[in-house]
Amino acid sequence: MATAVGPRALLAAIAAGAVAVLALWWHSTLSLAGLGGWLTGAGEILGLLAGYAVVVLVLLMARIRPIERAVGADQLARWHAMGGRYVIGLISGHALAITWGYAVTAHTNPVSETATLLTTYPDVLMATIAWFLLLGVGAVSARAVRRRMSYETWYYLHFYTYLAIALAFSHQFAVGASFTGSLVTRFWWSALYLVVAALVLWYRIAVPVRDFARHQFRVAGVRQESPHTVSIYVKGRHLKELAAEPGQFFRWRFLTRGLWWQSHPYSLSAVPSDELMRITVQGIGDHSAALARLRPGTRVLAEGPFGAFTPVRTGRSVLLLAGGVGITPLRAMFAALSGTVTLIYRASTWQDIVFQSELDAIAEARGATVHYVVGSRRDFGADPLSATALRQLAPGLHRMDVYLCGPPGMTGSAVTALTQAGVPRRRIHYESFEF
Amino acid sequence: MRRAILAVTATVAGLVALLSFKTHSSSERTVASPEPSASLPPGERAITGNVANTAYGPVQVQVVVATSKIVKVNVLEQPQSTSRDLQIGQFAFPKLIGETLSAQSARIDSVSGATYTSGGYIKSLQSALDNGA
Amino acid sequence: MVPRTTVPSATPSAGASAVTVRVRHAEHVMGTVVSFDVPVSARHDGSLDAAIRWLHWVDRVFSPYRADSDVSLLARAEVTVEACAPEMAEVLAACAFVRDLSGGYFTATPGGQFDPSGYVKGWAVERAAALLAGAGSADHVVNGGGDVQCAGGRGPNEPWRVGIADPFRPGRLALVVAASDCAVATSGTAERGSHIIDPHTGRPASGLASLTIVGPSLALADAYATAAFAMGPARARDWTASLDGYAAFAITGTGATWHTPGFARHIAV
Repeated sequence: MATAVGPRALLAAIAAGAVAVLALWWHSTLSLAGLGGWLTGAGEILGLLAGYAVVVLVLLMARIRPIERAVGADQLARWHAMGGRYVIGLISGHALAITWGYAVTAHTNPVSETATLLTTYPDVLMATIAWFLLLGVGAVSARAVRRRMSYETWYYLHFYTYLAIALAFSHQFAVGASFTGSLVTRFWWSALYLVVAALVLWYRIAVPVRDFARHQFRVAGVRQESPHTVSIYVKGRHLKELAAEPGQFFRWRFLTRGLWWQSHPYSLSAVPSDELMRITVQGIGDHSAALARLRPGTRVLAEGPFGAFTPVRTGRSVLLLAGGVGITPLRAMFAALSGTVTLIYRASTWQDIVFQSELDAIAEARGATVHYVVGSRRDFGADPLSATALRQLAPGLHRMDVYLCGPPGMTGSAVTALTQAGVPRRRIHYESFEF
Repeated sequence: MRRAILAVTATVAGLVALLSFKTHSSSERTVASPEPSASLPPGERAITGNVANTAYGPVQVQVVVATSKIVKVNVLEQPQSTSRDLQIGQFAFPKLIGETLSAQSARIDSVSGATYTSGGYIKSLQSALDNGA
Repeated sequence: MVPRTTVPSATPSAGASAVTVRVRHAEHVMGTVVSFDVPVSARHDGSLDAAIRWLHWVDRVFSPYRADSDVSLLARAEVTVEACAPEMAEVLAACAFVRDLSGGYFTATPGGQFDPSGYVKGWAVERAAALLAGAGSADHVVNGGGDVQCAGGRGPNEPWRVGIADPFRPGRLALVVAASDCAVATSGTAERGSHIIDPHTGRPASGLASLTIVGPSLALADAYATAAFAMGPARARDWTASLDGYAAFAITGTGATWHTPGFARHIAV
C-alpha cells in the first residue's frame, strides 16, 4: 500500500468534481413542481453524475503514471470495479426516472413515452444502446461470470465500454436540460471528455510505443528456477530512465505467436540494471509453458513501471513476509533495502522455494535474516504465521515496517496476525490484485 | 452488499435533498403590466406578461381582456428549439387556450370545421356569426 | 327556393375614422351553406351575385346527387370527358395530382364510384373568392360549409380570425387561426359522422377527430385535409409535414392535438 496521501487526494479530487457537476444542475434548474418535475429532476441529476462518473472510471484505468505511483494499480482497479457497478446503477436510474418523469409531464403512459423518446428524440436511441452495452459489460464482469471465461475474453469485451461512452455522448447535449441552452457548459463538458481521451491515448498507447522504441526490450534468456517457476531476463537500453523501484511491476507483452495478444503484470524479481531486468513467473498451464519456451531475441512490449508497493524509507527495521509467488517483488526489495531486514518466506513444499541461493547470499552479505517456513498447516499443527510465531521470528515486530506479498488467503490472515502482534495498520504494506 | 445499500441510500437522500431545495425556491413570476394598445377596440386591454425564463427557454404570454373577461390569449414567445419543447408546446398551449374559449368571446370572423349540411348549418357557430352575433 | 339572408355590418378600421361597411350573406347551395363576408362594394358591382351564380353552376355540373349532372353522367359512362364542361378536365387533373401526392389516400372515385366532391367544394369556393377579388375586393371571407378562403384581413395588419370547431363539444372552439390571404380547410367527423372512408380499406377512417390544413389554395387545402384524415394519425403527421406551403393541425380521438411546424405562426389564440 502506498502512503495514505495519494489515495485521499485522488478521492478528494473526484468528490470535488462531483460537487461541481451537482452545482451545474443547481444553476441550470429554476424550480420544479409535481411528480413529473421531481422525476425529471432526479433523472437529470443521475444523468449528469453518470456522464461525469464514466469519465472518472476511464481516468482510473488510463495508467497515468503519477496517479499509479501515488495510489497503486491494485487500489485503482478496485475503485474502478466498485465505481463501475455504481455507474450502471446511476445510468439505469437516469433512464427510468426520465422516461417516467416525461410521461407524467406529457400526460401519457410510460410505454408510449418510451416509444416517443426512442423514435423522435435525437440520439436517445444510441444512448439506450449504450446503456444496454454497459449492462452487458457489467453482467460479464460479475465475479461469478468472470471466473468462467479467460481473462483475455473478459478484457476485450470490456472495451465495449469505450463504444458505449461514444454512443451516449451526443444525447447529453441534444436533450440534456443543463446543456441545451449553454454553450459555455457544453464547451467545458467537451473539454473534460477530450482531456481524458487525450490522457488515455497518451498513457496507454503513445508512452508504451515510445518506450518500446527507446529501450528496445528483448528477451535475453530464460531460466527454470523450479518445476513451476521460470525467470525471464529482459535486456534493453537506457533502462535506468524508467526509474523502476524494487517492488514495482511492468505489464509484459511478448511479441511472439500465441503470446502477442496477451498482456500480463509481473513484478521485477531483482533490482534492474541499466541493461537488464528480471521477472519471475510461477504457474501451471499453457501460458507458463509458453513463457518457458521463449526464444532469446524475442521483442517485448513492456509497459511500466507500475505499482505503489515500494519501500518507504523511514529508518525503521523492515520485515518482508512472502508467501509462495509473493517472493518475487520482495526478492527485489530484499536486495535494495538498507538497515535491518528480516525475510520470512512461507511455502508449502521445498520445491516451491525459489532463489534460495540468492537469498542466502544476500542475507550473508548484509547481515540480514531469512526464515524459510516450509510445510503445510497440518505439518505444523498450528498456524505457523500466527501473531505469536511472527513475534518469535521477528523480535521487535511492533516497531517494524512490514511488506507483505502472497496469495489472497495468506495476506488476509497475515494482516490479522500482524495487527494482533501489535503492528499498526499504517505500517503494513501490501498489494492485492483481487477485485 | 452493505456498501451497495449504503451507496443507494446516500444517492436517494442526496437526490431528495437537492430536489426539495429546488421545489421551495420561487420560480420567475410573470408580473402583468397594463399596456395600452392602439389596435384594440375600446373596452379591451392587452396585458403582456414578463418574459419568464424557464430552464428550456423563454415564455411570454399576452392576455386581452374585455370587461374583466379574457377574450384572447397570445403566446408571444415559447421554447421551440428541442423536441421536448415542441412535444410540450403542442399540447400545452392549444389546450390552455381552447379551455377558455367560446365563439362569442373569441371575436372570430368565420368557423372552419367538418362540413355541415344545410340543416346542420342552422345550429352552427357560422350561422350565429352570419346573423350578426 | 331557400331565402337569402343578408346582414350589413360596420367594421371600424383601426387608426382611421372612416368606416368600411361590410355585408354578410349566406347562400344554401351544394348541399351546404356558403357564407360570404364582403365589402358592400361587392354587392353594388355585381361580383357577389356573380360568385353566387358560379356556385349554383358548379352545383348543377358537379353534384353527384343530381342525375343529370356531368359527374353523374360521367360516372355512368354515358358521356366522355371531352363532351363535359372544360372545368371537368381541370378538376380531374387536379384530383389525379392530389391522388398521386397522397399515395392514393385522396381519390376521385371513392368506393369505385366517380365523385370528385372532395376537391370540387374547395375549388368552387376558392373560385368564388377569386371572382370577388377580380372585381376589386381586397378583404373578404368565403366559407363553404366549413372550408374557408380568406383574402386580406379584418383591418390593416389584422388578419381574419378563423375559429376551428371543437369536434367534441359543439358550439365551442378548439383553436383560433390567424388567416390572411390563405385558406383554412377542416376534415372531421363532427357533423356528418364517419363519412370519410379510407380508400385502401373501404371503411371509415378512424383515429383523428379533426384535421385542419392551412395554405394558399382552398381547393388543395380541402383535398389535402380529406387525404390526410383518411391516412390516420401516424401517416397524416409525416405526410402533412412534407407538404410544401401547407401546414396542419389535428385533434385525435383521445383529445390530444398535434400540429406541423409551419402551423405555429397561424395560431392566434
